[in-house]
Amino acid sequence: MIFNMNFLLLDYAIRSLMRRFSKNFFIFLILSLLIFLLASVLMIADAIKLELNSTLKTLPQITLQRFIAGKQSDVPIARAEALLDIEGINAVTPRVWGYYYFKPAGVNFSVVGIDAYEEQYSPTLTLLTQHFDMKLLANKESMIVGEGVKKILAENYYSDFFNFITPKGEWKRVPIAGVFHSDLALESNDLIILPKKLAYAIFGMEESKATDIVVKVANVKEIATIVQKITARYPDMRAITQDDIRVSYQNIFDYKSGFFLSLFSVCAFAFFIIIYDKTSGLSSEEKREIGILKAIGWSSDDIVKEKFYESFILSLGAFLVGISSALFYVYALQAPLLRNLFMGYSELKPTFLLPFSFNLSMVILLFLLSVPIYIAATLIPSWRASSLDADEVMR
Amino acid sequence: MIALKDVCKSFMQGDESVFALNQISLHVKRGECVVLKGSSGSGKSTLLSLIAGLAQPNSGEVRVDGREISKLPERFSAKLRRQKIGFIFQKFHLIPHLTALENVITPLIPENLSLSLLDEKAKTSMEQCGIAHKASMRVNRLSGGEQQRVAIARALVNQPLLILADEPTANLDENLSRELIAQFEKLKDKGITQLIATHDPLFFELGFVDRIIEIKNGELV
Repeated sequence: MIFNMNFLLLDYAIRSLMRRFSKNFFIFLILSLLIFLLASVLMIADAIKLELNSTLKTLPQITLQRFIAGKQSDVPIARAEALLDIEGINAVTPRVWGYYYFKPAGVNFSVVGIDAYEEQYSPTLTLLTQHFDMKLLANKESMIVGEGVKKILAENYYSDFFNFITPKGEWKRVPIAGVFHSDLALESNDLIILPKKLAYAIFGMEESKATDIVVKVANVKEIATIVQKITARYPDMRAITQDDIRVSYQNIFDYKSGFFLSLFSVCAFAFFIIIYDKTSGLSSEEKREIGILKAIGWSSDDIVKEKFYESFILSLGAFLVGISSALFYVYALQAPLLRNLFMGYSELKPTFLLPFSFNLSMVILLFLLSVPIYIAATLIPSWRASSLDADEVMR
Repeated sequence: MIALKDVCKSFMQGDESVFALNQISLHVKRGECVVLKGSSGSGKSTLLSLIAGLAQPNSGEVRVDGREISKLPERFSAKLRRQKIGFIFQKFHLIPHLTALENVITPLIPENLSLSLLDEKAKTSMEQCGIAHKASMRVNRLSGGEQQRVAIARALVNQPLLILADEPTANLDENLSRELIAQFEKLKDKGITQLIATHDPLFFELGFVDRIIEIKNGELV
């Protein structure tokens, strides 16, 4: 086709677009905006899914919690040792952690107690223990905090320490020994890491107990069987597997996708109004022009080809502008506003970057839903008008 | 150049079929200038549309330069119209917002000619019609007479063998009409066949007109 391309016809199409500049510019703007919105939403969704999946990989295989009278209760540490008898369990780590409500900012910090000599149960903690000297942390009774925590504390005049209030009402002054960087992503922003002993004191827990127990298995295919064995031995314990967490994350994410389904519907509706307007007919001026062109020797083919160029230039231009603006908005600007809708509002917003993921099938889908439909909507009435007697059209 | 044999054309008016042309037979020789006279609604414009291949007859045969235009596929009839016929309309039918030059070259666009050839053809045609100095002006800013000259330049740009003119002076004053008639005389001198449909009496006593045919209620008188 390229060898038969009539550049004069292309030139005529461009001039024709320019002649009806305001109308065409309006359509261009609306199309670009719709494509931009849809592409942005899909790109954000993709990027967050990617980030969530990588976060999920860092979660424990099995987490065991104890429930008494339907309420979560601390787990005796002795059970951790007993669990090692069950075949297939590789390692068992009792965790001491909880949330500490910081009233001045109205936020919860995640406080995790760790033991410098223990094997860490999460890759993030392993990474942190490699960056910081945990023995020194234990000796000095100090803590390391996420960037979000550091910022909130600094805003409340705690630049190098923080006074925790224990359940007994005593003050526990803990110096800040270091800050994690945001490259540790989602899970570290609201985190405070301190020695286990200090965590017990802050939460007012007995040192013979843990918040929960993390279990590592040799073969992931055996997780279900191992969970059965554990709950048979300890009926008051509930096991949460990595898959359970994945499903619950996915549910929250899908619920938020519902928002965007509505947005998508509005966009699609607006697009189809444009399409309906295009297919419902040409203006009398456009019809007359088609009649004149036929009368001076253009064939219906020439007219349809010219209209094809017009609609292709307009819709492809709008598509490219929409997609490139979405790429810029999502990945360069990190999707202000829309991102908050997906992530939810929090004082301690995770500072992670939306990871770049170029989903070609999504781009193709958007292309197919916009460009060919718009072209068809333009060509059908033009072809209809060009098939009429020119004589009739010009009157 | 033009040969019509038993041509009938009817239109639907509500449920009724109304004859616009009834059993028309006509021959126009190459280089001949024929005036087709008749009142409004007599079928002049319909006859020109059939000759130009813009409409199809219900029956009969329409030949232009030996080819039966009424039976040609649309693409070929368009080509024949583009290459051999120049059409001058009563209401000029220029494309508003385009310049005079752009209007003149529009019939050549499907030919995909080189820019230099396109320019040369348009220039020649516009000079011939005395409108070259207005080439870059938008046609909707030109006077009626200038617009008619642009329309003639557009009709001549392909150096046609046949000019069909439909009420060419209907929107012009007497002076402009005389100027236009002078243009037709020049075309006659060049050997271009002309079929001019009009009810303007100015055309009825011209020396260069070979024949005057009258059409009444869709039939040649």
